[in-house]
Amino acid sequence: MSAALSVEGLVKTYPGTRKTPAVEAVRGVSFEVAPGEFFGLLGPNGAGKSTTLGCITTLVRPTAGRVAVDGIDVVRRPREAKRRIAVVPQTRNLDRDVTVREVLTFHAAYFGLPRAERESRADRLLAEMQLTEKAAAKPLSLSGGLQQRLLIARALMHDPKVLLLDEPTIGLDPQARRMLWETLRRLHEGGLTLIMTTHYMEEADRLCQRLAIIDHGKILQLDTPAALKKALPGGRILDLWVRSAAPVGPRLEALPGVLRLEKVTTEGRDDSFERLRLFVDPKDGLLDRVLQAVQAGEADLQHVSLTQPSLEDVYIHLTGKELRE
Amino acid sequence: MTAFLALLRRDLKVASRNAIPLLMATLTQPILVVLVFGNILPRLHLVAAEFRTVMVPGLMSITMLMAGVQGVLMPLTVDLSGSREVDERLLAPISVLGVALEKVTAGAIHAAVAGLVALPAMMLLMHRVTGVEVHPRWVALLPLVILCGLLSAAFGLTIGSQVQPRFSGLLFAVILGPMMLFGCAYYPWSGLSVIGPLQYVFLLNPLVFMSESMRLAVTPDVAHMPAPLLLVGTLGFAVLFTLLGARSFERRTVL
Repeated sequence: MSAALSVEGLVKTYPGTRKTPAVEAVRGVSFEVAPGEFFGLLGPNGAGKSTTLGCITTLVRPTAGRVAVDGIDVVRRPREAKRRIAVVPQTRNLDRDVTVREVLTFHAAYFGLPRAERESRADRLLAEMQLTEKAAAKPLSLSGGLQQRLLIARALMHDPKVLLLDEPTIGLDPQARRMLWETLRRLHEGGLTLIMTTHYMEEADRLCQRLAIIDHGKILQLDTPAALKKALPGGRILDLWVRSAAPVGPRLEALPGVLRLEKVTTEGRDDSFERLRLFVDPKDGLLDRVLQAVQAGEADLQHVSLTQPSLEDVYIHLTGKELRE
Repeated sequence: MTAFLALLRRDLKVASRNAIPLLMATLTQPILVVLVFGNILPRLHLVAAEFRTVMVPGLMSITMLMAGVQGVLMPLTVDLSGSREVDERLLAPISVLGVALEKVTAGAIHAAVAGLVALPAMMLLMHRVTGVEVHPRWVALLPLVILCGLLSAAFGLTIGSQVQPRFSGLLFAVILGPMMLFGCAYYPWSGLSVIGPLQYVFLLNPLVFMSESMRLAVTPDVAHMPAPLLLVGTLGFAVLFTLLGARSFERRTVL
């Protein structure tokens, strides 16, 4: 069986102009998504996620590399590829001149569905997305969460094999976000292949079966969320914010049970505290030893926390940076 | 082709629902001009009576140009700069060129209808005014109206896919205004022989060919450009703007 999506050596460089330099948005990205898989592209803004998605959906022309949906090359046979994919874009681009119901029926007409099927599908999806009551309303009068559900309903109208979602929960309130997660989970259980970009770690952790962590146009790591977290040294993370004349890092690194020390750079924070992240094996007395070492270095300690690693930690470990918002 | 027709159906349906505001937007201007220049000023003997006959086809061409601007240019500018509704169309099983050509087709129908509605509206307003010699020749009028509609929609696509919304005010002052004043809407092109070879510079303005086309079709008694020149000009500009428009549309939509 061919992959639902295969991306091989994808490169996209936006040409520069006289005033702006060329931008290498994607620099050699390769991955495959199996049929029925829920796959995530995780990374900060500007990492190259949306450009990768654009190349898959034919709206961005790749500079090099190959993208195939269900075995069909999207550059050579775009129309056939487009029949197999559906997109929930980051910009909610609902047709504002027609009703909610017509958003669905017109979309189906673009894909050549016969009238009876358009109508019955629209009825079913409106009910599934709990939009039946709003069928006669104009899309822009809906709340953000409802608009997002309408976008998903629209995407499903032509029965795609692969659903691509670009930051689907951005700007939604927590309740709407949870509802959307439920919807996506249900679609996944129904056998649909889903590919989602996000920069919300929790979302990626809950929904995706496999994740590619992407930054500066390259995939840093690709695995299941559990395996990504397992790959971190130690098993626990100890965060310390310290301020001292002489660096305490070397003292801490030498302690038994401390497997690795990383300095975290945080953009936009401008206190003089150094933020240290220790990957530790929490054996007896580790915390005591760490605190003693801090005191011995005459360091000012502002914050201590011992946590289970999360995807965010994996991300920080890989990039040395907190996720940029 | 299915996707093309479905997109066209959607556009015509939405336009027909908004028929009243669309008609108001396109007809207000010619009607007011007719009232002032066709009725008030001639009575005050400030303009010659023949002016009324000369300006009717000119106002039709301006009406069509503005319909192309309102039907294609303005919506496209908004779409490309923010709402991105166009992306849904681009993701339909149709080529980018197909999406662009559909926009031109829908815009051309819009502009042709606007021109055809403007004519009887103006005739009605002047039906008691003597000295107006408007005799539409429908056999010539219908194909020419469609051709001029195509030209204005293609013009809308070309400019609409290049102009930033913050410059749309400038667009009226710098592009559309001069086009209308120098578009032979208020004087026949043949009369410009009085200004010597400069007469030919006017041929750079696509609106000149639209005005002269309408002149041929609705006021056959007024001197107009030779039919072959007028056809070549209108068709040539329609093809040129369709090609340019499709190219810049593709550049703006597929990165």
